[in-house]
Amino acid sequence: MKNSNLRGAGTVFRYTVQQHYKTPSVIIFLTILFLIAVTAIPIAAMALGGKKESTETGIRKLYLRNETEYAIDAEDIRSEVRYGGLEIEETDADDAALNEKLTKEEDAAAAVVSLNVADQYFSISTHYGREGVVTHTDAALLNNTLESALHQALLRSLSVTEVQETMIRSKAMPQVSRVSDFLRGVEETNADTHVFMNIAYNYFIMMLCALSMGYIFQHSMEEKISKLVEMLMVSVSPTALLLGKILAVTLFIFGGLGLIAIGLLISFLITRQITDLTSFKDIAVTLLHFDPTAMKINAGTIVLLIICILLVYAISASLSGILGSCCSKTEDTQQASLVVVLFLMIGYLGSTFAPMFESDAANLFFSLFPVTSIFSAFPNYICGKIGMPVLVLALVIQGVTAALLMRLAGTVYKMMLMYRGGFPKPKQFIQMLKEHRAAQKAEAGKEDSHAV
Amino acid sequence: MGFKVSELYKKYGEKVVVDHLSFEMKEPGVYALLGTNGAGKTTSIRMILNMLAKDGGSVEWNGGPLTLQTCNVGYLAEERGLYPKNTLMDQLLYFAALRGVPRAEAKKRINYWAERLEATEYLYPPQEGKRPPKPKKADQLSKGNQQKIQFMLSLLSDPELLILDEPLSGLDPVNTDLFKSIIHEEIEKGKYLIMSSHQMATIEEFCTDLTILNRSKTVLQGNLAEIKKSYGRINLFIKAEQELRPMIEAAGITILTSVGFSYQCKVSGEVQANALLKDLVAKGIPLISFELREPSLHEIFVEKVGETHEEQ
Repeated sequence: MKNSNLRGAGTVFRYTVQQHYKTPSVIIFLTILFLIAVTAIPIAAMALGGKKESTETGIRKLYLRNETEYAIDAEDIRSEVRYGGLEIEETDADDAALNEKLTKEEDAAAAVVSLNVADQYFSISTHYGREGVVTHTDAALLNNTLESALHQALLRSLSVTEVQETMIRSKAMPQVSRVSDFLRGVEETNADTHVFMNIAYNYFIMMLCALSMGYIFQHSMEEKISKLVEMLMVSVSPTALLLGKILAVTLFIFGGLGLIAIGLLISFLITRQITDLTSFKDIAVTLLHFDPTAMKINAGTIVLLIICILLVYAISASLSGILGSCCSKTEDTQQASLVVVLFLMIGYLGSTFAPMFESDAANLFFSLFPVTSIFSAFPNYICGKIGMPVLVLALVIQGVTAALLMRLAGTVYKMMLMYRGGFPKPKQFIQMLKEHRAAQKAEAGKEDSHAV
Repeated sequence: MGFKVSELYKKYGEKVVVDHLSFEMKEPGVYALLGTNGAGKTTSIRMILNMLAKDGGSVEWNGGPLTLQTCNVGYLAEERGLYPKNTLMDQLLYFAALRGVPRAEAKKRINYWAERLEATEYLYPPQEGKRPPKPKKADQLSKGNQQKIQFMLSLLSDPELLILDEPLSGLDPVNTDLFKSIIHEEIEKGKYLIMSSHQMATIEEFCTDLTILNRSKTVLQGNLAEIKKSYGRINLFIKAEQELRPMIEAAGITILTSVGFSYQCKVSGEVQANALLKDLVAKGIPLISFELREPSLHEIFVEKVGETHEEQ
């Protein structure tokens, strides 16, 4: 491509970006998007019952009535920072006496530890006088600490050493896999995690493609609708015009995603201040059977993710560019978007349902077939369903597809700039493309002979 | 030096839309491309400007191919448009930047042309009330005023070659005169101009050479003065104070139109007209005017296009 063909692309880019961000609706949209991102995690955490483990407590004195034979060590309770200065008084007082004490002493709490022999469970009930200096949360947190102290008392009574205690507390990591994978030593994630990962990734990719499609349609037909195209063509080449616009749309899309990412980061930092984030992970693991620890997530994966997203964007943007160039009026975009959405839906649905087959052949096919590859390859890789060589091959296929589509988009954009008819039918489109290519060849031949 | 179009050819499917068009401008001036609707004028201009791929032929500027890089072209397209929601100043600066005009120089030129085209108030709207004035957007202007901004866009780069496709269509008489005066100025500056228009009187006012196209083919081409001369003075206009019809018809002259005692006639040549004049003078008929003229461009156009229609 001649450099002279690209002259003016920077000016087109700057102007498109400048006009985009001057639009009040865009600023309002981005502000709302940012606010949603900032508030997303705290609101979700609150809704899911997340709470902040405070280092403060309103309880200054504890009346402890231990009805079990296991002696609870006061130091086990005080080992927690918030109970460092807690006054602990062991008591045999009955419920009425405890009630009287708590009514008089606003900063006191009482705990009764008992054993239900018949049903074989321990019961710890913590009480406080009235909501004020001591809160319900303070009592609940103390209850958790007492549970831990009782556990320590049990272990001590059994003369369990520190090493033995560590062993007892160790978790088992269950792994289910086919014998072929077991023999290959492949660490496979469970099917639920694979399905969850596919759905989440595919949803993100679908959103990215749909958002970019709208922008690209709008910008690839803007000059036609405003009837400015002929005036522009004496100032800038179609290639430079298209390049400038695609770069601008790329900035809008990835700028928007960046804004969401910043919002979510702020959201995460805020949430850490007001609630306990570990509850989130627990919810994900328990409810969705999603185990992030089982996936290949590291710095390299992040780089791969960025490459995958850029390739998806390049393919989707080129496809949208080709179809958007065929539109002469706003109504034509309905037909154009139908084609793009159909293409994306094939990939999206195929890739979403592929993990349910639990088949190596299906994973390989969906990872390599260009339409589904943009959705499937990355989640399959991080869930251990395909190896690095297959992922690299998938990325090469995607790269070649993107390059071919980009080239075609450039040709179609130039060819259709002056076209004012309805959305062309496939046969008509191919005929136009053939004629355009023949004319280009004729012109190239003329230029060569001129140069000679 | 100059501008040359050779054997320009374009077809869509089996339909030929421009059939081997050739013309040349060896020196600055105005060249007119005339033709009926769908004759191929706009397609030719689009091929000249490389907007459409050519199926054949070439376009040269100063001996080399005409491209964005080799020739500073200004173009006022027949299909007028502006970005409707962008401010006028932004659009003008954008076009200037695309043509490589530095921002400060662009502002100077914009102000000059805004004043010249009486469009300053749209670029710098006056303050109303306490609020600062809002810059005007294209969709807030009338069609005529949008046309002024488009004309400014085509002039901002101070082009060597100016192509104006129907520059005066849709303008009121005041703005028509304003545009005409600017076109005259550009001619005086020594620019190459190519004009396409249906308004023959306008073309006649400016152009030195022309090509008439009909159904993709060139039907007439050459220097306007020479073309007219070749037709001879065959239009006779007579104004009298009494009825002359019998005497004109007796001289074998065709009356085209008559209003009162004014007649527009077609003669075979000066001899026939002189014979009628002698006869009228001999009879002592008082005449207000007796004028023998060359055919107008309009008449030549109609005749040439009519001929090819008959042939087809």
